[in-house]
Amino acid sequence: MASPLQDVAWESCLIEPSADRDLEAYARRKQGVPNPAVRYFAPVPWLARALVDLHPEYGLLMHLEQSVADLVSLVVSQENSCRFCYAAVRAMLWSQGMSIERIQRVEHDLTRADLPPRTVAALAFGRSQSRSGPAAARAAREALLGAGFSVDEMKEIAFVVASTDFANRATTITAVPAHSLERLPERLHMRLLRPLLGRLVRSRHARGQATPLDRVPPYPYINLVRAYAGSPIAPALGRTLEEMWASPHLTRRCKLLMLAVVARGLGCEVCGCEVGDALRGEGLTDAAVAQVLTHLDAPELDAVERLLVPFARETIWYEPAPLQRRARALLDRLSGPQVLEAIGVAALANGLCRMGAMVLDQP
Amino acid sequence: MSRVVLLGALLLVVLTVLLGALYRQWRRNQRLEAQLEAAAADLQHLQEACSRLAPAGVVQRLVADGVGPGIESAAERKVVTALFADVVGYTALSERLEPAVLARVLNGYFQRMSDAIHEHRGHVSTFIGDGILAYFGALQPNPWQCDDAVRAALAMRAAMREYNAELAREGLPPLAVGIGIHRGPGLAGLVGSRERMEYGFVGRTVNVAARVQALTRTHQVDILVTDALRAELDARFALVAMPAETVKGIAEPVVTYAVRELRA
Repeated sequence: MASPLQDVAWESCLIEPSADRDLEAYARRKQGVPNPAVRYFAPVPWLARALVDLHPEYGLLMHLEQSVADLVSLVVSQENSCRFCYAAVRAMLWSQGMSIERIQRVEHDLTRADLPPRTVAALAFGRSQSRSGPAAARAAREALLGAGFSVDEMKEIAFVVASTDFANRATTITAVPAHSLERLPERLHMRLLRPLLGRLVRSRHARGQATPLDRVPPYPYINLVRAYAGSPIAPALGRTLEEMWASPHLTRRCKLLMLAVVARGLGCEVCGCEVGDALRGEGLTDAAVAQVLTHLDAPELDAVERLLVPFARETIWYEPAPLQRRARALLDRLSGPQVLEAIGVAALANGLCRMGAMVLDQP
Repeated sequence: MSRVVLLGALLLVVLTVLLGALYRQWRRNQRLEAQLEAAAADLQHLQEACSRLAPAGVVQRLVADGVGPGIESAAERKVVTALFADVVGYTALSERLEPAVLARVLNGYFQRMSDAIHEHRGHVSTFIGDGILAYFGALQPNPWQCDDAVRAALAMRAAMREYNAELAREGLPPLAVGIGIHRGPGLAGLVGSRERMEYGFVGRTVNVAARVQALTRTHQVDILVTDALRAELDARFALVAMPAETVKGIAEPVVTYAVRELRA
């Protein structure tokens, strides 16, 4: 079952994996099976945990059918040319009993893949958000509601697309090796273990339970967290954001600048406003913010910011191998954890903006 | 006893037939899977071949949109930056060089210019003789398209310098390029006849870029941008104002600026 993405050019991995027993045990507890990506992100724990906590497979969705969410993840990963995530979703669908033929039909032609019209609408939404971003948000939202999805389901689809966009960028930019996952369904021992693997994965599948949002610290993007109040998505997203802001490898201002650039590149006005206010709170003048957003540089920026502001822009629309090379070049000037954190912030910004445009920018 | 043997034999025959049918079906599935793999590989090769005939981003977009015979891709209104580049003195060069040498020199030029454009988020729409028409912000939204286009032009200038050094080592004459850049609105999408279509951009913007490119000869410079583009540019680009010139097809004299460098 050759993966359609296995010919996508993919550089060697940017970072050496490092074992972190606590993180690996945390991932195994939540997902039932080891998560091979976690050890690559161990130097920046918030990023490693976010890849586990924001995974739409494990207890976050209350309204959307899991099978629809899985296919949306597959399509978004295909759009983003993420070999690692694509192979992971494919292997997961296969382990849970989806036939090779069915997966291939979905990959080759979504509209003829004997899927219900609602699922086709959700997949079309995933594609449009990955390809066009917030520019197409209103039309995409109307299309989803027109296809019979409730507002809660629509918000969960937006979350699935955003979390997949985030994971796609995190694993693509770091070039996490994908080959063994791509070959997994072909291995004899995995074929024999398939029923067991499927049971293990399914045992951790749980529908999300209504979860109160207790604490709402005042950090940028908190409105997005509030928009999911009552859903388990809100605390998971809130924790990720809180840990991201608290992480010491990059300054808060640098992270805000990266978020602002991605919001501008994607044309997400609501996100841009929220981050713009926070940047002014960091002491940057309106003129300096405007200069950065218009020309990706300003005299007020420090050396790290001058590197990472243009880098954030590169993560919006990309081809994997050139982006992986650009990220590798950052290692000449920044430490490994700084580069990893920058990748995490940029990846999260891409997800947040797509989600923000769908959920916050209500007509 | 004989009935039991008969039933056993019958069961054996049925089982053999069933196993045979299952085996044939398995073989058929294997063959179909192999054909499917081969078809997918052919499709991949075809897509790779297509990407040499059209920009990779365009091919991906057309494939993703499901554009095929009788299906049209929707055109979109966009503000795009157009870059038009042309070899100065191409006619004289073509008379001096053997066609095979000229083709090799031109291919080397096209490759280097395309790399510089692609590196800065542009896509080459078409080669017109020795000319190159490229767009910034046509395939994906790009609020930094003006800076990108001028950075691409500066990268093209640097690439030309390196290429001319290579040509000199082979005893070949140097090439000079004129580049015109303009920004404006238009319609992006598939244009052409039923038999032959290409992803292009329709509007006055392209004509202005081509006319501005022609002005590089008048002003004896290599990169010119229009006033509309200058208004959007980073102030670190060192520009020199040129005298306004009347050009064919445009009523008002065109104000242009020569690009010197990007200051650190």
